[in-house]
Amino acid sequence: MTGRVSETAMTPLSSGFELELAAETDNVPLVRHALRGLLEASGVGEERISDITLAVTEACANAVLHAYPHTGGQFEASAALSAAGELVVTVRDHGSGMAPRVDSPGLGVGLPVMAAIADALEIDTPDGAGTIVRMTFDVATATAP
Amino acid sequence: MVILQGVVSGIVVERAEPGVEVVVVTGEHDLSTAPELERRLEAALDSGQPVVIDLLGTTFIDSTVLRVLICAREQAGERSVGFRCALGETTGHGVRRLLELTGMEDRLSAVPTRADAIAGAAAQA
Repeated sequence: MTGRVSETAMTPLSSGFELELAAETDNVPLVRHALRGLLEASGVGEERISDITLAVTEACANAVLHAYPHTGGQFEASAALSAAGELVVTVRDHGSGMAPRVDSPGLGVGLPVMAAIADALEIDTPDGAGTIVRMTFDVATATAP
Repeated sequence: MVILQGVVSGIVVERAEPGVEVVVVTGEHDLSTAPELERRLEAALDSGQPVVIDLLGTTFIDSTVLRVLICAREQAGERSVGFRCALGETTGHGVRRLLELTGMEDRLSAVPTRADAIAGAAAQA
């Protein structure tokens, strides 16, 4: 034992997470906290983190609330942050799709909020296979130098 | 109760002079806590006393919570109960951002300090 510590590259090319969760409301803050942790570790500023976690919370809320009007199920949330400062968050549910609901517990503003905050927003509703929401956020300019 | 970075996400109801029910909302709130917030607000409105929602320590809300707040405001109006929201400099950016994006700040009877909110709710009859 020589006490020598070998140096390894400490800058990951990218970082992120993938979560598969029960479509329960308590799992929405879990996704938000995981995303906050990822962004804080990457030096993203508080206001940008706040905006991004709002958009992602709205997307996860849609997955939990609208995907399964009658039964339980799962949803997936993943985040990938590239070294170039592009964050891609994908929220996927396997529910019945995006038919508008008049009994929503929200205000029906989730999608406009997501669209206003994300730099790009894609929504895919493959037949009979739920909904995939993909949001892209540029965080390169939001990190401290 | 969730603890994130030392900020407890909670809902506490206090009675302030002169008989105003103050619902203090701290930390982050979303669809997971919205039903409990709704229950506490209904109980406060049922008391017949003026109601204040203190958002000065609220760091985050989603549109589900915003709906609960707006509905409480409307309920107060229908019952002729005094109502104010305290929304100030210490309120988290996340809260302000959602209100700005949805243009709904003017539907909350918001004033910048707790003292203003208590006085305003008590005076409104």
